[in-house]
Amino acid sequence: MALTLTVNGHTRTLAIEDDTPLLWVIRDELGLKGTKFGCGAGLCGACTVHLDGAPVRSCSTPVSMAAGRSVTTIEGITPAEGLHPLQQAWVDHGVPQCGYCQSGQIMTAAHLLAYNASPGDDEIVAAMSGNLCRCGTYSKIIAAVKSVAAKHQQGEARDDA
Amino acid sequence: MTLSRRDFLRVSAAGSGSLVLALSFSGCSGIQTGYREEDDRWVADAWLEITLDNTIYFTLARVEMGQGTYTGLTTLIAEELDVEPSVIRPKFAPVAPEYRNPLYKLQLTGGSTSLATSWEPLRRAGASARLMLVAAAAEVWQIDPASCRTDNGRVLHPDGRELNYGQLAKLAAAGKAPENPELKPREQWKYIGRERGRLDARAKATGTAQYGIDVELPGMVYAVVTRPPRYGASVAGFDDSAVRAMPGVLDVFAIERGIAVVADKYWRARKAQAQLVVEWNTEEALAVSGDAVMEHYHRAADDDPGEEERREGDFGAGVRSADRVIEASYEQPFLAHATLEPMNATAWYRGGRMEIWAPTQAPDLARIAVARVTDLSPDEVAVNTTFLGGGFGRRLTQDYVEEVAAVAARIRKPVKLIWSREEDTRHDVYRPAMLHRMKATLKDGGVTGWQHQVVGPQILDWYVRNAAPAQYPWAPKFLYDTLGKVGLMAEGIATPKDISAIEGAVDYPYRVDNLDIRHTHTDAGVPISWWRSVGYSHNGFAVETFMDELASELGRDPFQFRRELIRHEPRHLAVLERAAAMADWDSPPAPGRARGIALFRSFGTYVAQVVEAGIEGGDIRVYRVSCAVDCGEVVNPDVVRDQIEGGIIFGLTAALYGEITFENGAVVQSNFHDYPLLRITALPEIRVDIMASSDTPTGVGEPGVPPVIPALGNALFALTGIRQRKLPLVARA
Repeated sequence: MALTLTVNGHTRTLAIEDDTPLLWVIRDELGLKGTKFGCGAGLCGACTVHLDGAPVRSCSTPVSMAAGRSVTTIEGITPAEGLHPLQQAWVDHGVPQCGYCQSGQIMTAAHLLAYNASPGDDEIVAAMSGNLCRCGTYSKIIAAVKSVAAKHQQGEARDDA
Repeated sequence: MTLSRRDFLRVSAAGSGSLVLALSFSGCSGIQTGYREEDDRWVADAWLEITLDNTIYFTLARVEMGQGTYTGLTTLIAEELDVEPSVIRPKFAPVAPEYRNPLYKLQLTGGSTSLATSWEPLRRAGASARLMLVAAAAEVWQIDPASCRTDNGRVLHPDGRELNYGQLAKLAAAGKAPENPELKPREQWKYIGRERGRLDARAKATGTAQYGIDVELPGMVYAVVTRPPRYGASVAGFDDSAVRAMPGVLDVFAIERGIAVVADKYWRARKAQAQLVVEWNTEEALAVSGDAVMEHYHRAADDDPGEEERREGDFGAGVRSADRVIEASYEQPFLAHATLEPMNATAWYRGGRMEIWAPTQAPDLARIAVARVTDLSPDEVAVNTTFLGGGFGRRLTQDYVEEVAAVAARIRKPVKLIWSREEDTRHDVYRPAMLHRMKATLKDGGVTGWQHQVVGPQILDWYVRNAAPAQYPWAPKFLYDTLGKVGLMAEGIATPKDISAIEGAVDYPYRVDNLDIRHTHTDAGVPISWWRSVGYSHNGFAVETFMDELASELGRDPFQFRRELIRHEPRHLAVLERAAAMADWDSPPAPGRARGIALFRSFGTYVAQVVEAGIEGGDIRVYRVSCAVDCGEVVNPDVVRDQIEGGIIFGLTAALYGEITFENGAVVQSNFHDYPLLRITALPEIRVDIMASSDTPTGVGEPGVPPVIPALGNALFALTGIRQRKLPLVARA
């Protein structure tokens, strides 16, 4: 059966069983490998993408749920030139170790900053609690998210002045 | 670390005229097993290639699994080559003797050895290349090489002219490699020891780093494998009629390790697999349940005092004259690796050759694994290594490569095998469960004797089947099993002596007169392997918890007690004192909190940690970890802190949650709900201080793990007065 969804701004029509997890459609049908498979049960967050702007676990989201909706992946937030502010912060802080969970971490953080531009530590920790990192990069994740939030605040302060 | 082998450099101009430096270990030379890509852009046995368009390729012989070799080893060669590390393009090494780890004589990444074994050779390779480039420039300019300088990839003439390395590559390649290039004194280092970013951070932050699971080949199909639920069971028969009726299914067949289902898409393979009906032959299957393994160990310990591994003084005489004898047993469970990237591999069998793409810690063992299950010889197998989404020792075992090779040999199309998380948890090769029986003699307020009986299996028993043939790659395949057996019998000669069970026990560092360290070798039949920090992970808990018990029995402060017994070991003492100072040990912690301390050396690196913990809402809460580490000279301080901090989190995960259990031979746990990893919500404040040192660098990937487990247990004892002798720790013992 054919279904249509928009991924990173491109509308795609696919013939695929509608119970196929969105993850495998993104990775194998559309060739976007930045979104990772970790657990298949929504427990680790490695597969996090945005569905109409909200973070979802694509491993546990049937593609039919994304029909007619807009999906954003790690590739979708990467600008044509340069990096997304969070990606830049990830590089500046040297966050990734093995790096496998980091696409999901960044997608979760991007959603946090989209609705709360200057979160406190507790809000960052709460927002990131669904994303596992086996290498233990958590403290750098918090520092990187904070640095982007702080830059935003400085920007706002400048705008006010 | 000083390598006893004499290294030598070979220089050649590659087809394109680029400068290629190949560095060989004389101990391995003459063994011709190196696979060479047909594509001449890639020079299989080169460490460093400088092309005419000034691209610098560096072949990374140790895989990148998060531990930072991609950045650390590149920094070493960059320092002496005198070029910004970020300019160099690392690429993952194919299988070739030059890339073997000289300590293991195998091309594997593990044991926190990458930096230590690369420290001299890579810097020397970089220095040689730089001297050859300088000599080439001096020839062009007809001046004395000594009057030339280099700076970030260029040779500079005293009058200001310059030539970049690419321009000089062809001429330099015609030159002779200096025998013994002088290395920069540390005052002149530009890159080593500086806080710098990770060279792979950008690719990993944009999702463009290629892991094994991301490999894509034309016309690729997908395989899943149904494995026996109990280790040792085999396929008695299967009904695949319903499977074959499912959409996209291409084939269903038995392989050595189970039943493979191949389909055009991954999800179709998974759905079809659910229709498979398999009858298992369980005659030789594992049958353990509950506490059976530990009971087996206790019986073995009663029956056999074990092999003596270290003896000083006379422990028995000490017992007879002691004021008191203290005894304790510690029980530690099987642990899974739980890399976030599940096991996977891709294979393509064509033209009588097999090409493998795999996130593997041991590419030459991957070749052996393929040869074992196909009609190919290792020379007919190429292995492409990708980034690894975590390793921790799991990817030293090549079971997933065996599976994909067996499937590819039949399917004859590019095929990717992906394990589910449940399969990854239930078909792991585990950190062995271990039993430790400890006994100490006390007299006149001090410790006079220490006895440690380590009870459990040895990892090499499970690993040698593949490792031994890899060391003798010319051996015909029918000898593989024999080599495995010989490898075990000739332990220490043909294969390294297996110290996996006793490391961290035999090197007990405290000053005690009578020492009796022994190993009762017994195996419960559960497949096991190396797991981040290996034997140190369980011996650390036993040694440092028992030390804490002795301090408590003697009414001594746990820090001062250790301090007095370690005065003869300055590096131990220094990290111990630093960690105590960092944690403000002498001031009382906040109400409801307590501190525990542990000191442990592993992989040549000294680590002391103080954990501050409490119990909140019925759960253990770790508030703070203060850690001092001495790993010799530091190449990248940021990577060192990351690795130690990551090790602490890895250790806390084991201490708080880690336990694989069996029910009638089958693993009970399956996914992150019942085999949890520490989440960001449980993250303590972690502070890591690195001691200044000019000693040869030692590994940092693993040494952060062992001390944090006993340090947390000791903190809980200080908090509750209840000693926990079994892991994982619980909020109420």
